[in-house]
Amino acid sequence: MAPSARVLRDMKARKGAQANEIARRAYLFVARNETLSPQVRHHAQLQLNTFGRYTRPATCSNRCHVSGKGRGIISEFALSRFQFRVKALRGELPGVNKASW
Amino acid sequence: MASVPPSRLQALTKLRCSIFQTTYNPDSLRTGAKYLRARLRGPSLVGYYPERVNISQIVRSYRNRLEMVDDDEEERLQDVIERRRRGKGAPPKAKKGAYCDRLNLTVI
Repeated sequence: MAPSARVLRDMKARKGAQANEIARRAYLFVARNETLSPQVRHHAQLQLNTFGRYTRPATCSNRCHVSGKGRGIISEFALSRFQFRVKALRGELPGVNKASW
Repeated sequence: MASVPPSRLQALTKLRCSIFQTTYNPDSLRTGAKYLRARLRGPSLVGYYPERVNISQIVRSYRNRLEMVDDDEEERLQDVIERRRRGKGAPPKAKKGAYCDRLNLTVI
Protein backbone atom coordinates (compact mmCIF):
# COMPACT_ATOMS: atom_id res chain seq x y z
CA MET A 1 0.00 0.00 0.00
CA ALA A 2 1.31 3.45 -0.88
CA PRO A 3 2.01 5.70 2.12
CA SER A 4 -0.73 8.17 2.96
CA ALA A 5 -0.22 11.92 2.72
CA ARG A 6 0.22 12.14 6.47
CA VAL A 7 2.94 9.51 6.43
CA LEU A 8 4.63 11.37 3.56
CA ARG A 9 4.43 14.58 5.59
CA ASP A 10 5.99 12.80 8.55
CA MET A 11 8.79 11.48 6.32
CA LYS A 12 9.41 15.05 5.14
CA ALA A 13 9.53 16.25 8.75
CA ARG A 14 12.01 13.54 9.66
CA LYS A 15 14.31 14.37 6.76
CA GLY A 16 14.17 18.08 7.60
CA ALA A 17 14.84 17.43 11.27
CA GLN A 18 17.90 15.40 10.41
CA ALA A 19 19.23 17.97 7.95
CA ASN A 20 18.90 20.87 10.40
CA GLU A 21 19.69 19.09 13.64
CA ILE A 22 23.29 20.23 14.08
CA ALA A 23 22.58 23.90 13.26
CA ARG A 24 19.60 23.94 15.60
CA ARG A 25 21.64 22.37 18.40
CA ALA A 26 24.33 25.02 17.99
CA TYR A 27 21.78 27.83 18.23
CA LEU A 28 20.09 26.13 21.19
CA PHE A 29 23.43 25.91 22.96
CA VAL A 30 24.02 29.65 22.54
CA ALA A 31 20.45 30.66 23.34
CA ARG A 32 20.23 28.61 26.53
CA ASN A 33 23.74 29.42 27.76
CA GLU A 34 23.44 31.77 30.74
CA THR A 35 27.16 32.53 30.76
CA LEU A 36 26.89 34.41 27.43
CA SER A 37 25.66 37.96 27.02
CA PRO A 38 21.90 38.53 26.75
CA GLN A 39 22.28 40.17 23.31
CA VAL A 40 24.02 37.14 21.85
CA ARG A 41 21.49 34.79 23.39
CA HIS A 42 18.61 36.87 22.04
CA HIS A 43 20.07 36.83 18.53
CA ALA A 44 20.47 33.08 18.72
CA GLN A 45 16.86 32.75 19.80
CA LEU A 46 15.73 34.92 16.88
CA GLN A 47 17.71 32.69 14.52
CA LEU A 48 16.07 29.63 16.08
CA ASN A 49 12.67 31.16 15.38
CA THR A 50 13.48 31.42 11.66
CA PHE A 51 13.69 27.62 11.32
CA GLY A 52 10.62 26.26 9.65
CA ARG A 53 8.10 23.77 10.85
CA TYR A 54 9.68 20.78 9.16
CA THR A 55 13.05 21.26 10.87
CA ARG A 56 11.98 20.49 14.41
CA PRO A 57 12.20 16.99 15.79
CA ALA A 58 8.97 17.65 17.69
CA THR A 59 7.05 17.80 14.39
CA CYS A 60 7.85 14.13 13.78
CA SER A 61 5.27 11.77 15.19
CA ASN A 62 5.40 8.01 15.16
CA ARG A 63 2.85 6.57 12.76
CA CYS A 64 1.79 3.00 12.09
CA HIS A 65 4.04 1.18 9.58
CA VAL A 66 1.11 -0.66 8.06
CA SER A 67 -1.92 1.61 8.19
CA GLY A 68 -0.34 5.04 8.76
CA LYS A 69 -2.57 5.76 11.73
CA GLY A 70 -1.25 8.37 14.16
CA ARG A 71 -3.00 7.29 17.34
CA GLY A 72 -2.83 4.22 19.50
CA ILE A 73 0.69 3.28 18.35
CA ILE A 74 2.52 0.53 20.19
CA SER A 75 5.98 1.96 19.73
CA GLU A 76 7.96 -1.25 20.30
CA PHE A 77 6.39 -2.63 17.14
CA ALA A 78 5.60 0.72 15.40
CA LEU A 79 2.08 -0.56 14.77
CA SER A 80 -1.32 0.80 15.64
CA ARG A 81 -3.19 -1.22 18.23
CA PHE A 82 -5.43 -2.86 15.67
CA GLN A 83 -2.62 -3.80 13.25
CA PHE A 84 -0.71 -5.09 16.26
CA ARG A 85 -3.64 -7.35 17.13
CA VAL A 86 -4.06 -8.58 13.55
CA LYS A 87 -0.38 -9.38 13.16
CA ALA A 88 -0.11 -10.97 16.60
CA LEU A 89 -3.07 -13.25 15.92
CA ARG A 90 -1.51 -14.23 12.60
CA GLY A 91 1.67 -15.13 14.50
CA GLU A 92 3.82 -12.58 12.66
CA LEU A 93 5.19 -11.00 15.84
CA PRO A 94 7.73 -13.30 17.51
CA GLY A 95 7.18 -13.73 21.23
CA VAL A 96 3.70 -12.24 21.27
CA ASN A 97 0.93 -14.60 22.33
CA LYS A 98 -2.68 -14.06 23.15
CA ALA A 99 -3.09 -14.05 26.92
CA SER A 100 -5.04 -16.92 28.38
CA TRP A 101 -5.34 -18.02 32.00
CA MET B 1 31.83 20.94 66.22
CA ALA B 2 33.88 23.62 64.54
CA SER B 3 32.05 25.25 61.63
CA VAL B 4 33.85 25.47 58.27
CA PRO B 5 33.82 28.91 56.64
CA PRO B 6 32.05 29.02 53.23
CA SER B 7 35.18 30.29 51.49
CA ARG B 8 37.03 27.13 52.50
CA LEU B 9 34.16 24.96 51.22
CA GLN B 10 34.21 26.88 47.93
CA ALA B 11 37.95 26.37 47.60
CA LEU B 12 37.45 22.68 48.28
CA THR B 13 34.81 22.43 45.51
CA LYS B 14 37.10 24.26 43.10
CA LEU B 15 39.96 21.91 43.87
CA ARG B 16 37.70 18.90 43.52
CA CYS B 17 36.58 20.14 40.09
CA SER B 18 40.16 20.58 38.93
CA ILE B 19 41.09 17.09 40.14
CA PHE B 20 38.11 15.26 38.63
CA GLN B 21 37.97 17.49 35.54
CA THR B 22 34.41 18.67 36.07
CA THR B 23 33.15 22.19 35.40
CA TYR B 24 33.33 24.57 38.32
CA ASN B 25 29.95 26.30 38.31
CA PRO B 26 29.27 27.75 41.78
CA ASP B 27 26.23 29.80 40.68
CA SER B 28 24.62 26.78 38.98
CA LEU B 29 24.25 28.71 35.71
CA ARG B 30 22.77 26.93 32.74
CA THR B 31 25.58 26.36 30.27
CA GLY B 32 23.55 24.72 27.51
CA ALA B 33 25.91 21.76 27.61
CA LYS B 34 23.04 19.34 27.51
CA TYR B 35 22.26 20.37 23.92
CA LEU B 36 25.80 19.45 22.90
CA ARG B 37 25.99 16.33 25.04
CA ALA B 38 22.73 14.75 23.83
CA ARG B 39 23.00 12.20 21.04
CA LEU B 40 21.93 13.22 17.56
CA ARG B 41 18.44 11.96 16.93
CA GLY B 42 18.43 12.43 13.14
CA PRO B 43 19.57 8.95 12.07
CA SER B 44 16.98 7.17 14.21
CA LEU B 45 14.27 9.65 13.15
CA VAL B 46 14.94 9.02 9.45
CA GLY B 47 15.20 5.26 9.93
CA TYR B 48 11.74 4.92 11.49
CA TYR B 49 9.80 3.86 8.42
CA PRO B 50 10.94 0.74 6.55
CA GLU B 51 12.36 1.19 3.06
CA ARG B 52 9.73 0.99 0.35
CA VAL B 53 10.42 -0.01 -3.23
CA ASN B 54 9.18 2.68 -5.58
CA ILE B 55 8.86 1.00 -8.99
CA SER B 56 8.15 4.11 -11.02
CA GLN B 57 11.17 5.89 -9.51
CA ILE B 58 13.45 2.97 -10.43
CA VAL B 59 12.04 2.87 -13.96
CA ARG B 60 12.62 6.61 -14.31
CA SER B 61 16.23 6.34 -13.14
CA TYR B 62 16.99 3.52 -15.63
CA ARG B 63 14.96 4.95 -18.50
CA ASN B 64 17.86 5.59 -20.86
CA ARG B 65 19.97 2.59 -19.94
CA LEU B 66 17.57 -0.32 -19.57
CA GLU B 67 14.35 -1.38 -21.16
CA MET B 68 11.91 -1.61 -18.27
CA VAL B 69 8.14 -1.56 -18.45
CA ASP B 70 5.79 -0.16 -15.81
CA ASP B 71 2.67 -2.22 -16.56
CA ASP B 72 0.26 0.09 -14.74
CA GLU B 73 1.57 3.16 -16.56
CA GLU B 74 1.45 1.38 -19.95
CA GLU B 75 -2.15 0.36 -19.30
CA ARG B 76 -3.10 3.90 -18.37
CA LEU B 77 -1.51 5.35 -21.51
CA GLN B 78 -3.26 2.70 -23.62
CA ASP B 79 -6.59 3.66 -22.00
CA VAL B 80 -5.96 7.33 -22.78
CA ILE B 81 -5.29 6.51 -26.46
CA GLU B 82 -8.43 4.35 -26.62
CA ARG B 83 -10.59 7.02 -25.06
CA ARG B 84 -9.26 9.70 -27.37
CA ARG B 85 -9.97 7.46 -30.39
CA ARG B 86 -13.59 7.16 -29.29
CA GLY B 87 -13.84 10.91 -28.85
CA LYS B 88 -14.04 10.61 -25.04
CA GLY B 89 -10.68 12.15 -24.24
CA ALA B 90 -10.05 15.18 -22.08
CA PRO B 91 -10.74 18.46 -23.91
CA PRO B 92 -7.72 20.51 -24.97
CA LYS B 93 -6.64 23.21 -22.59
CA ALA B 94 -8.14 26.60 -23.41
CA LYS B 95 -5.67 29.20 -24.58
CA LYS B 96 -5.45 32.25 -22.42
CA GLY B 97 -8.07 34.77 -23.49
CA ALA B 98 -10.00 32.41 -25.76
CA TYR B 99 -12.78 31.98 -23.21
CA CYS B 100 -13.14 35.75 -22.81
CA ASP B 101 -13.25 36.26 -26.61
CA ARG B 102 -16.06 33.75 -26.93
CA LEU B 103 -18.16 35.54 -24.29
CA ASN B 104 -17.30 39.01 -25.61
CA LEU B 105 -15.75 39.93 -22.31
CA THR B 106 -12.92 42.34 -21.77
CA VAL B 107 -10.50 41.86 -18.97
CA ILE B 108 -10.02 45.05 -17.05
